[in-house]
Amino acid sequence: MSPEDDLKILIITTMISSYPGANTVGQARLQYSPGTFIVRVPDPVMFPEEFYLDSFAKGIDGIIIMSSGSDCPYEGAYPRLSKRVGRVYARMKEQGIDTSRLKLTTICTVCKAAFLKEIREMQQNILKAKAA
Amino acid sequence: MTETNTSALNPSGDPIRVGVYVCHCGGNISDIIDTKAVAAELAGHPNVAVSNDYMFMCSDPGQALIIDDIKANHINRVVVAACSPTLHELTFRKALHRAGLNPYLFEHVNIREQASWVHKGDHEGATRKAVRLVAAGVEKVVRQDELFPIKVGVEPHVVVVGGGVAGMSAAVALAGRGLGVTLVEKGVALGGRVADLDRVYPTEERGADLVQDLTRQVGGHSRIDVRLGSEVVGLDGHVGKFAVTVRASSVASEDQDRLVRAGAIVIATGFDHYRPAQGEHGFGESPAVITLPDFQSALRQCPASQTSLQANGRSVRSVAFIHCVGSRQIDGVHAPQADGKVNDYCSRTCCTATLHTIRQVQSRFPDVDVYDLHKDIRTYGRGHEAYYEEASRAGALFFRFPDDEPPTFAASTGGKCAGTITTRDILTWGEELEIPVDLVVLATGMVPRDIASLIDLRKLPVGADRFLQEVHPKLRPVEIGVAGILLAGACQGPMDINEACTAAQTAAVKAAILLANPTIELDPFVAVVDGERCDGCEKCLAECEYKGALTMADLQLAGATVRRAVVNPAMCVGCGACVAACPPRAVNVAGWTLDQFDAMVDAIVAEDVGALAHTECRAGVRHIEFAVISGGN
Repeated sequence: MSPEDDLKILIITTMISSYPGANTVGQARLQYSPGTFIVRVPDPVMFPEEFYLDSFAKGIDGIIIMSSGSDCPYEGAYPRLSKRVGRVYARMKEQGIDTSRLKLTTICTVCKAAFLKEIREMQQNILKAKAA
Repeated sequence: MTETNTSALNPSGDPIRVGVYVCHCGGNISDIIDTKAVAAELAGHPNVAVSNDYMFMCSDPGQALIIDDIKANHINRVVVAACSPTLHELTFRKALHRAGLNPYLFEHVNIREQASWVHKGDHEGATRKAVRLVAAGVEKVVRQDELFPIKVGVEPHVVVVGGGVAGMSAAVALAGRGLGVTLVEKGVALGGRVADLDRVYPTEERGADLVQDLTRQVGGHSRIDVRLGSEVVGLDGHVGKFAVTVRASSVASEDQDRLVRAGAIVIATGFDHYRPAQGEHGFGESPAVITLPDFQSALRQCPASQTSLQANGRSVRSVAFIHCVGSRQIDGVHAPQADGKVNDYCSRTCCTATLHTIRQVQSRFPDVDVYDLHKDIRTYGRGHEAYYEEASRAGALFFRFPDDEPPTFAASTGGKCAGTITTRDILTWGEELEIPVDLVVLATGMVPRDIASLIDLRKLPVGADRFLQEVHPKLRPVEIGVAGILLAGACQGPMDINEACTAAQTAAVKAAILLANPTIELDPFVAVVDGERCDGCEKCLAECEYKGALTMADLQLAGATVRRAVVNPAMCVGCGACVAACPPRAVNVAGWTLDQFDAMVDAIVAEDVGALAHTECRAGVRHIEFAVISGGN
């Protein structure tokens, strides 16, 4: 097992955009590490700051929020999510948690390369932080 | 909304008994993931009463396993680990319903697109991941409330966008089923690209006659309102109750926009012809190189009395057709399109269209030499192969060029011919050929029409080929990821007239089924407020963008009047913005609660499924049901 595979990365995906995007990656048979756990939600704006902090405390190594970004069908949801993640970063710093373990990004239904890149970068960030 | 604490099959106090079913998907999953090991490990979960694996859970016998376990083994929650829920979540919910169990007491875990297909080189890792995902699914479903669909009153009216043959076919079919139709066409006339065609295969009818016949049917139907020179500029609401804003291009003022209320929308915006790049097979550099649509147009205008084929003011004695121009492109061989990608899809119709055109040339101008240069011939439709055989018998010469060596054209100055095509023929021994010709016809494929403004109105899903993406070509044809919006014709990919009209009929039938009853049922995934937990702080109101979705009201609780947040399910879109703002977690999106997600994370990080805590049935397996929504969007 490679060090990447031993990680537990939570990938929060949106039903309208990044979850189908993750399916597109699978349909294309593109490969990535099994240390990745995709959760689908109507929209990640529903998660309070505590959800992220608690998940880190429980043992999640990294969280990638794959939002719909400007394509989000819910009015005002993305700006709220973005601000909330900013507040989570502040609390992570206060608690001494490496902020590179949380990433807010945008993935669409066909963003195959970007999907893989985000996973790869998160793995590298976590392993780098662990090694430091 | 009503909430009670009753459930026929899982009354308060009954133990939660989860059935777990791990699908092989005929090897798609089980070739990579040890499905038996996953089922065996999940059997150790304290809430799991049955855990099995099976070849095809979506098959009738697969569904029967679930139904039998619900009835005989008192299973009251179900987890299926299989393909993407976008394919079969509904299939299994229906199975639960048939067994008498609330269909929302179900969780679909994706271990195919997001596990077996993406971890092919790591069977052990994929299996370990599947165990954690299924355990997370179990943790979610044991916290699931009984939910009931939201019932929405429907508008018995459909907006069809695009007035080509697909749009007109859909409109006529919808009107014939008693529905009102607004047919919105951007151009000044109905008919689309078929109006430009002379004879169409395989019936040899004239394109103009087809259009005329359909236009007559559209015009003769009192239920169809045709809006020429108009566009859809606004699209709000949801399935059953869309509000579509139609604007005439001649009208500058927004005040004159027409608001059309419709239960469904059919998109039939068609395609564009591929325009070859400058220099592609000599296109744009020599007048002797033209596209197939331009050549067909020239043929149509050529008088029947004319005995010689004329092009560019000169007599044509030889013509070469080159297939797959703008289609089946290869990265690194062909120049990318504007978006940086090549058109790697097959345009499907151009092989038969080319051979059909060759037959017209051979019939009218038998002295013209015809050369056909192709990667391979894909005359896939019924009777289409006959054009190939007839063209061959009539003397057309076929050459097959390698995928990565498209033919080149060099114009000649003052020679007998317009130029020379150079190609390599792999039907022989890879012989390199130089073919002098008077005319080169490029069999250009289909590309998606630029409908970005329409796509943006509702964030319509677009496939890798940039055409609109149907949910599944076999399981949910002509449906798109937005409920109530259907596709007709070449807006979803290259297809011929027959296929476009068939798709249009399918879309019309699906829309008619949707709107057949006064109400349709929607998933109940909107915000719900737990009045016991809510402390009336009103923080959720500040987060909600949807006017009227969340309000405060005085409620009677335990004999006292208290101020609590209440949700209007007609206005709530279920985004969950209010959820994060609620300190006591009183507001949640039904079916997607924070408690469920917390438990899923617990399962993902757990080292042993058996060590997860047993979840008792809450003194409130809540029963959430909404009243029928009849007004507003």
